[in-house]
Amino acid sequence: MALVEARQLTKVFRRPDKDPGMRGAVKHLFVRRFVDKTAVDHVDLSIDAGEAVAYVGPNGAGKSTTVKLLSGILQPTSGEVRIDGLSPQKDRIAVSHRIGVLFGQRTQLWWDLPVSESLAVLRDVYGIDHGTYRRRMARFEEVLELGEVLPVLGRKLSLGQRMRADLAAALLHAPPVVYLDEPTIGLDLAVKDRVRQFFRTVRDEGTTVMLTSHDLGDIEGFCRRLVIIDEGRIIFDGDLEAVKDAFARERILNVQTETVVPLEAARAALPGAAIEAGETPLHLGVRFDRFTMTAGHVVSALAPLANLVDFNVDEPSIEDVIRRVYSGELVLQP
Amino acid sequence: MRTIRLYVRLLGAHLRSLLEYESDFWIMMVGTVIMQVVNVVFLAAIFAKVPHINGWSFWAVVAMFALVAIAEGVGSLFFEGMWNLAWQINQGDLDYMMVRPYPIVLQVSSMQIGVNGISNIVTGGLMLGFAIAHLGIDWTVGRIAGGVIVLLSAIAVKVAINLATNSVSFWMQSPSPLFAFAVHQVGDLARFPLSIYPLALKAALGFALPFAFVSFFPVTFVLDTGDAWVGLLTPVVAAYCLAVAWFIFSRGLRRYESAGN
Repeated sequence: MALVEARQLTKVFRRPDKDPGMRGAVKHLFVRRFVDKTAVDHVDLSIDAGEAVAYVGPNGAGKSTTVKLLSGILQPTSGEVRIDGLSPQKDRIAVSHRIGVLFGQRTQLWWDLPVSESLAVLRDVYGIDHGTYRRRMARFEEVLELGEVLPVLGRKLSLGQRMRADLAAALLHAPPVVYLDEPTIGLDLAVKDRVRQFFRTVRDEGTTVMLTSHDLGDIEGFCRRLVIIDEGRIIFDGDLEAVKDAFARERILNVQTETVVPLEAARAALPGAAIEAGETPLHLGVRFDRFTMTAGHVVSALAPLANLVDFNVDEPSIEDVIRRVYSGELVLQP
Repeated sequence: MRTIRLYVRLLGAHLRSLLEYESDFWIMMVGTVIMQVVNVVFLAAIFAKVPHINGWSFWAVVAMFALVAIAEGVGSLFFEGMWNLAWQINQGDLDYMMVRPYPIVLQVSSMQIGVNGISNIVTGGLMLGFAIAHLGIDWTVGRIAGGVIVLLSAIAVKVAINLATNSVSFWMQSPSPLFAFAVHQVGDLARFPLSIYPLALKAALGFALPFAFVSFFPVTFVLDTGDAWVGLLTPVVAAYCLAVAWFIFSRGLRRYESAGN
């Protein structure tokens, strides 16, 4: 059995249906109307021990709701969740030792305590012995440079400091399963890099990680498996590299030539590729499928037409692919 | 045992930060003492005109005032966080509490310390001491033991009502605990002997919101007057109130919807 299992998981929120403005608010006091919004719609998901999974989707797709269902914060409308065979809703305390949760938008540190004190309180809540605690803190110090943050009061932390402290708080009890929900939101690039580096060490230690993000930079180089959710439904669950291979097969070769090459001549030399005009008449863009043509082939086809001064190849990122999936341009078949 | 130790730890964490604002600390302490003194002066003024209220002497009523003060004091000192529940539900602040291996209700109630509880407990204790000294109670071992149990149960009744009414916030979704606060105000009625109220209020304070078990019935038990045996029911009422409060809280928790990002 997988470590994390969701079967037909569904969450429907009931929202008051109010007309806009004061009138609508008053009217709602007397005539109560509600609309149902399905945030998570019959989701099946199973994650094995040691797996790193990216859970992506546009804003409001149901990512955070799924994480809250998987951690027992919300009660599912239907369907069920099992963590290591236990229900987080029914065996809350047992499951809490097995999971670590980080919500990037929300801190779990006490706002009126220094970080060191918040972490010490959590140590006692989880019943971690002092030796283990010191060892883990030393590691956080090493990878997250936590030392400078420890004496700062919760409410005085900068966003980057807060996120590092919150990561330490979420992982203090060394949970086998970790949910990271938007863990790099609002961070500057340097902190982002450090935090991403930290995720990789966590993953390499064998922790099962589910990473929710709409910053696709977080997932590239981090996980093999990609799950895409949109409007509460999982629309793709499969290998990240396979997605790239299947849908990021397009390459663009940008060339700069010494003399002007007419577009028609280039098209005649390269049937099967799309030729576009570049920023000057001396620039050309050649769009081709990397499975039917190679960059070398393109260069040698263009060489007889003019001397090539410079060229480079654009490779689309997974970001472009997922963006095209969101917009409905691409339909993925798992 | 571990649960209690951890509770003290969670509360204590806030104590230190609280002491950083020294002036606030003293204003709260002194303000509460003044309020209690005003209460007693007001009571003395009434009794200067009438020797008894419905058969109850000045010191018997002081004892009832004292019990309400002590129960409120314990509530603020140890369980003040309950009053933040509405705000935490509204803001989705229970999320992290729900993934920690400690009872959620205790995490909520330990989120804050009301230091004014100390002065309520101290002034309440003094009032109770003076009242007992003047009431000429026939202290037997049984009455002392019974008195202690009834006192602890009376405090539990008050705390349970606080929890139950604050848990209603799970259904209200409002950021402030208006309902709980309204009920808390009703609780002030329990400072006076239940026998002075009309039947409907008697029923309300005796059954629906059993504030009478915070002060009136415990005092009748110790004084061995009126329906003293009802006072003996205080532990039962306390257990019932705690069970109901726990039930409302856990049902409410199932409705918790966090907050959208």
